[in-house]
Amino acid sequence: MKLSPNWTEGETRAQRGHRAPLKASDRSVTRASGAWEVPAVRGSKLSFLSWETPLPAPSFRGCLAGAAMQVKKYLVKGLHRLQKGPGYTYKELLVWYCDNTNTHGPKRIICEGPKKKAMWFVLTLLFASIVFWQWGVFIQTYLSWEVSVSLSIGFKTMDFPAVTICNASPFQYSKVKHLLKDLDQLMEAVLERIVAPEPPGANATRALNLTLWNHTPLVLIDERNPHHPVVLDLFADNRNVSASGSPAPGRTCNAQQCKVAMRLCCHNGTVCTFRNFTSATQAVTEWYTLQATNIFSQVPTRELAKMGYSGEQLILACLFGAEPCSYRNFTSLFHPDYGNCYIFNWGMAEQALPSSNPGVEFGLKLILDLGQEDYVPFLTSTAGARLLLHEQRSYPFVKEEGIYAMSGTETSIGVLVDKLERKGKPYSQCTANGSDVPVHNLYRGLNTSYSIQACIRSCFQDHMIQNCSCGHYLYPLPPGEKYCNNREFPDWVYCYSQLRRSLGQRETCIGMCKESCNDTQYKMTISMADWPSEASEDWIFHVLSQERDQSTNITLSRKGIVKLNIYFQEFNYRTIEESAANNIVWLLSNLGGQFGFWMGGSVLCLIEFAEIVIDFLWITVIRLVAFSKSLRQRRAQARYAGPPPTVAELVEAHTNFAFHPDTANHGPNPGAYPDEQTLPIPGTPPPNYDSLRLQPLDVIESDGEGDAI
Amino acid sequence: MAPGEKIKAKIKKNLPVRGPQAPSIKELMRWYCLKTNTHGCRRIVVSRGRLRRLLWILFTLTAVALIFWQCALLVLSFYTVSVSIKIHFQKLDFPAVTICNINPYKYSAVRPLLADLEQETRAALKTLYGFSEIESRKRRAAEPWSSAWEGTQPKFLNLIPLMVFNEGETSKATDFLTGQKRKVSGSIIHKAADVMHVQESKEVVGFQLCSNGTSHCAVYTFSSGVNAIQEWYKLHYMNIMAQVPLEKKINMSYSAEELVVTCFFDGVSCDARNFTLFHHPMYGNCYTFNNKNGTIHSTSMGGSEYGLQVILYINEEEYNPFLVSSTGAKVIVHRQDEYPFIEDVGTEIETAMATSIGMHLTESFKLGEPYSQCTEDGSDVPIDNIYNAAYSLQICLHSCFQTKMVERCGCAQYSQPLPPAANYCNYQQHPNWMYCYYELHQAFVHEQLGCQSVCREACSFKEWTLTTSLAQWPSVVSEKWLLRVLTWDQGQQIKKKLNKTDLAKLLIFYKDLNQRSIMESPANSVEMLLSNFGGQLGLWMSCSIVCIIEIIEVFFIDSLSIIARQQWQKAKKWWAQRQAPACPEAPRSLRGQDNPVLDIDDDLPTFTSALRLPPAPGAQVPGTPPPRYNTLRLERAFSNQLTDTQVPAES
Repeated sequence: MKLSPNWTEGETRAQRGHRAPLKASDRSVTRASGAWEVPAVRGSKLSFLSWETPLPAPSFRGCLAGAAMQVKKYLVKGLHRLQKGPGYTYKELLVWYCDNTNTHGPKRIICEGPKKKAMWFVLTLLFASIVFWQWGVFIQTYLSWEVSVSLSIGFKTMDFPAVTICNASPFQYSKVKHLLKDLDQLMEAVLERIVAPEPPGANATRALNLTLWNHTPLVLIDERNPHHPVVLDLFADNRNVSASGSPAPGRTCNAQQCKVAMRLCCHNGTVCTFRNFTSATQAVTEWYTLQATNIFSQVPTRELAKMGYSGEQLILACLFGAEPCSYRNFTSLFHPDYGNCYIFNWGMAEQALPSSNPGVEFGLKLILDLGQEDYVPFLTSTAGARLLLHEQRSYPFVKEEGIYAMSGTETSIGVLVDKLERKGKPYSQCTANGSDVPVHNLYRGLNTSYSIQACIRSCFQDHMIQNCSCGHYLYPLPPGEKYCNNREFPDWVYCYSQLRRSLGQRETCIGMCKESCNDTQYKMTISMADWPSEASEDWIFHVLSQERDQSTNITLSRKGIVKLNIYFQEFNYRTIEESAANNIVWLLSNLGGQFGFWMGGSVLCLIEFAEIVIDFLWITVIRLVAFSKSLRQRRAQARYAGPPPTVAELVEAHTNFAFHPDTANHGPNPGAYPDEQTLPIPGTPPPNYDSLRLQPLDVIESDGEGDAI
Repeated sequence: MAPGEKIKAKIKKNLPVRGPQAPSIKELMRWYCLKTNTHGCRRIVVSRGRLRRLLWILFTLTAVALIFWQCALLVLSFYTVSVSIKIHFQKLDFPAVTICNINPYKYSAVRPLLADLEQETRAALKTLYGFSEIESRKRRAAEPWSSAWEGTQPKFLNLIPLMVFNEGETSKATDFLTGQKRKVSGSIIHKAADVMHVQESKEVVGFQLCSNGTSHCAVYTFSSGVNAIQEWYKLHYMNIMAQVPLEKKINMSYSAEELVVTCFFDGVSCDARNFTLFHHPMYGNCYTFNNKNGTIHSTSMGGSEYGLQVILYINEEEYNPFLVSSTGAKVIVHRQDEYPFIEDVGTEIETAMATSIGMHLTESFKLGEPYSQCTEDGSDVPIDNIYNAAYSLQICLHSCFQTKMVERCGCAQYSQPLPPAANYCNYQQHPNWMYCYYELHQAFVHEQLGCQSVCREACSFKEWTLTTSLAQWPSVVSEKWLLRVLTWDQGQQIKKKLNKTDLAKLLIFYKDLNQRSIMESPANSVEMLLSNFGGQLGLWMSCSIVCIIEIIEVFFIDSLSIIARQQWQKAKKWWAQRQAPACPEAPRSLRGQDNPVLDIDDDLPTFTSALRLPPAPGAQVPGTPPPRYNTLRLERAFSNQLTDTQVPAES
């Protein structure tokens, strides 16, 4: 009894509220649509309720059922509110939408003449498709994760770069002589054999230690007969293993006819290859380096460090800005190529030193003594200091990136820090700290930061250990592995040269390693001048000799002395910084711009559209329900051949539990219900006094006109 | 009745005037302002009060102006570029490396050709500076050059005489050959000396170039005799060498086996066969490593041992004393298809030194038209490329100069390639080419030939940034054995023991494999432009393209049609007035228009109007409209409610 008036009231309110803009057509719409929609809805609702009613109702269950009823009531109300869109038909809805939307095009479709209407329809469709296309373009652009670059150049107080200084010779010859004695004798004999036209006396070669030689011998390949090259061992005459019959031709051939090659064997000399060289210089240098590597790899690093140049020897004078410094300000690092290297301002233990002024006076000034007389003669042919500027806490790859400083000169290096800061994922494939690279960084043991050089070298060492089961002397060792040497790993030279030649290994390493996101290069402007000048030479050497050796004689020479000035240039940084080219703000503003430009729309328009879509769905649902209901009704009518129950009857059936429809009374007159007299409300609704409302004049006028139709 | 149509009818009612049906422009404007999607206009019409209306007009106009301004800015900045810098770590192609000896030809081989010139140069030096013998080289002392002086008439000095000028009176010059003072006519061009001239000298040295036949002469003076003699020598040298066939010149120069003693690339030995010959007119035989014929080498590791290591043999004894005054080699790193401009760019290498050159690769891509003036392959530059290489700005400028040279002087300049159907200049065929060349060169430097404006830069280029450092090589302790082995390596090429000043070591390598690409991309696309337009329009007036169409529709089509209609009516009226005396109908129609009764269509037909009876005389029907009782609509509300329930019965 209570339910039905509530429904009607709610319904009317919802209708009125929602359709306020359509005042004039309001009534006609309801008239037109109400004819068949409203009963259908009610019917569906009631059928839903009737499914509930047959439950047995004890007292507590009745209580529950009451609560359920309340909830249901609420839901039904909500449903009704929702479904009360602006109309009950698609067309009505569309027209309403077009008239009231804030998007610019649709309104024109409604309020123009038929020709213009068609034009506007086409235009609106066109613009809508353009908008969607452009949106697609923008979203695609956004998802391509492009970056924009900003460049800044100038001077600011910056951390002075870490400066690594090495001597070109890794060891002092006087200290490693005992290790290299055999090898040097062998080398000299080899040189004699290659260069000298006559074989030296047999007794000279007797004294040689041939175990080193036999492992990887140098051979002469006589190519005077190109179809039958003759391979000659350099010491063939006293070992009698020569492939050719007579050793005589080997003595007379020169560089154009004979090539020096290195024989690399494995599996006890059963499988051999020759590594050819076009010049004897390279052949002997490579051979010597290989042998020396073999020797040094068996010596522990601590002892090797003692054989190199000490910091005290190398660094004679040091001045940073106005402050004096000494070799104690340098961190020592053993580098396999260059022996003891000294790093200034590495920033490992203490704060990095800043430099706040450009110019030589505020930079680092060094005087180095190379001790060229004590170089290992066959190992290094170039004399000078090796120098590298690098970032704090990064490993100095001196051999790859370093520069030379020549003895007897003053080398001035102006520095510009060229920094590239990149965005990581998803903008580019770079790595911030190397933790996502599938290569174990062997240089991490020194607490250095990730760099791609470190990664590639670690990768090579990994391959080396996998293939040759020993590590190469030039790269750090993973724990539990050993450096290669002839004694324990007789095949390593063969294995190593195979590995080094294989392109596949390099490709894999390059593929695995990622560049780091921050890339700093130190651009150097190098200039040189003779130092010390002839006039000042005398006293400078005196003073330096006195300081170093406490001797009054000159113990230094021009050949061994290097002066270095490292300083910031007037512009000391150039930073290239990446930032996201297209952020979400960019995307939204462009989406808005496009939508606004073509259709004058905004997000609210989208919401409007969504609302209309929901309304559409509702109409569809309602129609479907109505359709099924009408089908069922028709079927029921066909079965019972009676009139359908009236509204009042159905309402009564659910509100009054005691009520049972009089099934027996199938009278043709449905108006004979006794309740009809007691239910006056639907028949006579309360009057709507429009005159009591203060309405704007034009509305009333238009209403009046509407009436006149 | 379908609800849509009802609504339509309703809307029709609501819109009192529509577009072109409006009776006047004012009405149309009013309608437009009320109904347009553009904000602002409506306010003008709706606002009450003159001040407020004025303000709104002002605001609207300001907004329109702002929109135009901002959109103009957007359009103007449309063709701008944004730059992106990318870094790739990858296997890099090694560039082509061209190495030349600074001295073009072995002096021993070329000397017979230059004997006369050398004699005259020495004579000039003797006369000008008063020293008789160059004692620096032993071998030259053996040449009996001074004895030949008396016999032959100096031909080079006659052709272009070297003169001493007094700084005070530049028109008077002393021809040092004859010792006579003579008057010099023509313009005097003073070339600044790059050797600093310290002492206050009153005398300057120069030479005079005249064009035969005419009396046009140009005098070139140099503040230093070093430059004067070198320039003078070079002119004659080019003249002589231009007549020598190419094959002979190649034979006179160094062979690859001589120049390259050892070669090592990426851990593998290489030799002279890896170098291709490239003959440069001023530098003789140059050799290019990793040229485009054959596979291009690439490096997959940075560092000196993975790059190119060569030891060069530079025989200082074979140097031409007047042509080159420095010793060493020149190296240039370039793209495989690029022409090496040895004389313009290039790094010099010192002997007895190891020069290590670390490279960084930077690639640049510029956007062509309409963003900048660059050209992709030079095909759209109206200059024929006379070089057998890919386009570059340098090539274009040189080609342009050479083409102009052939046009104006009738022969080609020696240090650049020959254009088709042209010969190198020499005295025999082109006696006054030098004057012409100097004139043309002057014009070229002062950008009077138009080459600089015609030539455009290339859109993409690779640049190798080089970090050069020097070290002593060979070191004191390794010198002995190294020179011995190198001598053996050189073998039969030279029959002497190598000295360390004859050798230079060169290392060229990638410092790391980071390749920087600097790419330009359009900063704006059409989409961006449109969306920016949309943003501006929306921000200031909530306008869209629909509004613009509206404006076009209303202001152009509708207004014009209204104006046309009014004009038509006016014309009709005027015509009617003109015809008035002839036509008796006119006043009647006028009366009919005045009569408001006939015009009321909306009114329900009354009895009188329905029967088309003449109105009652004295009846004041239109004057008293029926009262509109709003209260009567109360029952309409009722009827509305009633219809709701009555609907099923109706249908």
